[in-house]
Amino acid sequence: MSRTLRSFAVIGVALVVFGPLGLIIYQSFLSEAFFSPTASLSLGAYRYVLTDSGFHSAFGTSLLVSLGMTLISVPLGSLLAFLLVRTDLPGKKFLEPWLLVPIFLSPVVLAFGYVVAVGPVGFFSLWTKALIGRVPWNLYSLYGMILIAGLEAARVAGAGPWRIAATVSLPLVLPSILFSAALIFLLGFELFGLPLVLGDPAGLLVLTTYLYKLTNLLGVPSYHLMAVVALSIVALTFPLVYAQRRMLRTAGRFAVIGGKGQAFRPLPLGALRWPAVAIVLLWLVVTVLLPLIGVALRSVVSQWGEGIKLFDVLTLDHFRELKGYPNLVRGIVNTLLIGSIGGALSVVFYAIIGLAAHRWQSRWVSFLDYLVMLPRALPGLIVGLAFLWVFLFFKPIAPLRTTLFSLWIAYTVVWLAYGLRLISAALLQVKPELEEAARVTGAGQGTVYRDVTLPLIRFGLIGSWLLVFMMFVREYSTGVYLLGPGTEVIGSLIVSLWGTGALDLISALSVIEVALVGLILFIALRLGVRLDA
Amino acid sequence: MKKFLFVMLLSGMLAAQLSRSYAAESNATVTAAQKEGKVVIYSSTDSASVEPLLQDFKALYPFLQVEYNDLNTTEIYNRFTAEAASGTGTADFMWSSAMDLQLQLASKGNALSYASPEISGLPKWAVWQNQAYGTTFEPVSIAYNKRLLPADAVPQSHADLIRLMKEKHDVYKEKIATFDPEKSGVGFLMMTQDAKVFPQFWDLAKGLGATGAKVYTSTGAMLEKVGSGEHTLAYNIIGSYVLLRQKKDPSLGLVLPKDYTLVFSRIAFISKTARNPNAAKLFLDYVLSKRGQTVMSEKSLVYSIRSDVPGPITAAGLTKDLGKALKPIEVNTDILAGLEQNKRLEFMKQWKEALKR
Repeated sequence: MSRTLRSFAVIGVALVVFGPLGLIIYQSFLSEAFFSPTASLSLGAYRYVLTDSGFHSAFGTSLLVSLGMTLISVPLGSLLAFLLVRTDLPGKKFLEPWLLVPIFLSPVVLAFGYVVAVGPVGFFSLWTKALIGRVPWNLYSLYGMILIAGLEAARVAGAGPWRIAATVSLPLVLPSILFSAALIFLLGFELFGLPLVLGDPAGLLVLTTYLYKLTNLLGVPSYHLMAVVALSIVALTFPLVYAQRRMLRTAGRFAVIGGKGQAFRPLPLGALRWPAVAIVLLWLVVTVLLPLIGVALRSVVSQWGEGIKLFDVLTLDHFRELKGYPNLVRGIVNTLLIGSIGGALSVVFYAIIGLAAHRWQSRWVSFLDYLVMLPRALPGLIVGLAFLWVFLFFKPIAPLRTTLFSLWIAYTVVWLAYGLRLISAALLQVKPELEEAARVTGAGQGTVYRDVTLPLIRFGLIGSWLLVFMMFVREYSTGVYLLGPGTEVIGSLIVSLWGTGALDLISALSVIEVALVGLILFIALRLGVRLDA
Repeated sequence: MKKFLFVMLLSGMLAAQLSRSYAAESNATVTAAQKEGKVVIYSSTDSASVEPLLQDFKALYPFLQVEYNDLNTTEIYNRFTAEAASGTGTADFMWSSAMDLQLQLASKGNALSYASPEISGLPKWAVWQNQAYGTTFEPVSIAYNKRLLPADAVPQSHADLIRLMKEKHDVYKEKIATFDPEKSGVGFLMMTQDAKVFPQFWDLAKGLGATGAKVYTSTGAMLEKVGSGEHTLAYNIIGSYVLLRQKKDPSLGLVLPKDYTLVFSRIAFISKTARNPNAAKLFLDYVLSKRGQTVMSEKSLVYSIRSDVPGPITAAGLTKDLGKALKPIEVNTDILAGLEQNKRLEFMKQWKEALKR
């Protein structure tokens, strides 16, 4: 049982990761598109990219962004997690979902929300200007971008230690914090929406926008050059995962769901209570309220900016206009389907992999650790293309291309690292003694999983489902090339609207999306689903 | 001029003649299309704005199902090339504003040769070897914010813009938006055409650099920011998009430069490997027909290319206002020069130097 499971896990993950990745590696060694009859083996792409000064400066900027983001988000995220979980912070129960739930706006829309709220002529900027005569901030600077990215990422940084901080003391959380740091560092290289909207107009290039440039720079999209840039980010994962693994060697220490009952008393904050609340609230205002208000305002005004009075321009036309998009309802239904049913199936898949790797001392586990990180390291622009190619040129699965399955597979692969981290955080809390007890009484590995491990982490699995749902709902770049009439999702509709620039419609659509997902989240939490289980 | 009018009249009559005999002529095509039952379209034209056109087409051929994929120009190219190479079937009808990419695909043998009965209604430069068809006649314009830009600072020509950027430096400082030719193929095409017909183009580019102009990849983002006043003017915007926005945002103004106005055309072709070639032919004929072009001009606010479609949003209307100042980007392989790698990179380098980036 356990052998079969483990072989399945390793082979399965290797297949789904190396499918798209293998194609990209192959592509990087060619002179043009791999499917072109005149393509030949060549190192030209490497030569071009590695000697291009544009690449060097974009890489440098990305490095700076990633470092800055990590330095802001990790301490802040850990602090927030600690405050919410280990202390008697007032209003904890109310604040918790706001802090745990990733904001479910597409990154470009999020960035646009900031532009409408605090851009040079944003609502808040103009109000501030009316009050004090000037706008004391500049959204379009490198540091503004790093700050926003860092604050946003604090949520991701906190989510890892979160589950563990719930029950153990701070020093033991350290490896998990460092684990999050590695992930965020990588996410910094993946940022696309923020740099495109906030940095690009002034010519600030990061690696992903440099990649974007390569679709047009030479006239036709230069896949071979794009592949090399993508692989340069993939290469970064190796030292990161290596460092991570070293830090996580002590994983056994986390086990907390043991045979003995434990009780925790929250740390009293005393006089620090209100400053602590203020910090949390301020952070919420900047990372959630500002962009959401920006997007929401844009969805109900016909025009905005300098010289406009808000009350003169209020309208619900954009919502009405959305009716002109027949594919919209389908898009919403598909999005919910892929988030709920697709998300559940993905959690099952992640759980199987997680169980297979659970308490398995083998080199294969380290292989898996490296493997799962790779798809996340591929920038969205190229992941979408890679999946298109896989579904086009790998004939056995080609019929799936025009169905929602192709999207589901792509999403599952891309979020592999995130999903597994959720599962393993749940699994790490189970003390070995419980499983060993079952084994002593004669239970086989399968029975142990079924009767002991899985029931113990069931709340963790349901919470993971909810978080995976959130990720799938806001996903947009991965599926761009797999969509067709009938398989639209909201994320893709937003991308296509972005192309023609209907930002009022995008805002209205995003408001609907946020309301819908918020409602589902509310119901789920009401039904007793716990995000920190 | 008289001769010109006569030709126009003649071609108009001819077109009328053709559209009358239309149904009879393409009878075989109609029957074949009926068997195919549908047409798959990849297009960069926004699905909301194209809706009236599709509705009318469906009214004409109720037996045809239209599978309309609204994609951006790069996506269209990426999808088409990969799908065609894999042999799994791709779009029947390709319709994109990336003129250069479309023509490149056609010139590499991806387009079906088909002499549309509507050819006579089109300008000669809009048809390439009966394969690629220019379907629209869209002026490349300057969009500006009426609330914020004083009337004496609105440029009426390219030369004006160069002068105003110098004289009213403070008004324009960081307030101009334009395409990033490095990231946008359409932007690159327009700028290379500018450089071709306007000797002072590089002065203009330097002016943009000196005023700290911002560069964008999407028309929508530029118009949004001109509307809000973050920028007061956007250079090289396709006129049809401004017209569409004006419906919602009355503060947007549109200038068609008097010295010369580039004319841009969305290119369509039928895929050589189309599964529904006959349905695609019907769609092409419809888009080029007087009926289709009238819907396009009146309902979708996209400038019609036919000289026999009356109204302001048409080639005829523009010709009346601007006459010889109109400089259409012709649908032929000259456009492909821009895809030549060294020349392209040289242009980009010069652009970046002018912009001081």
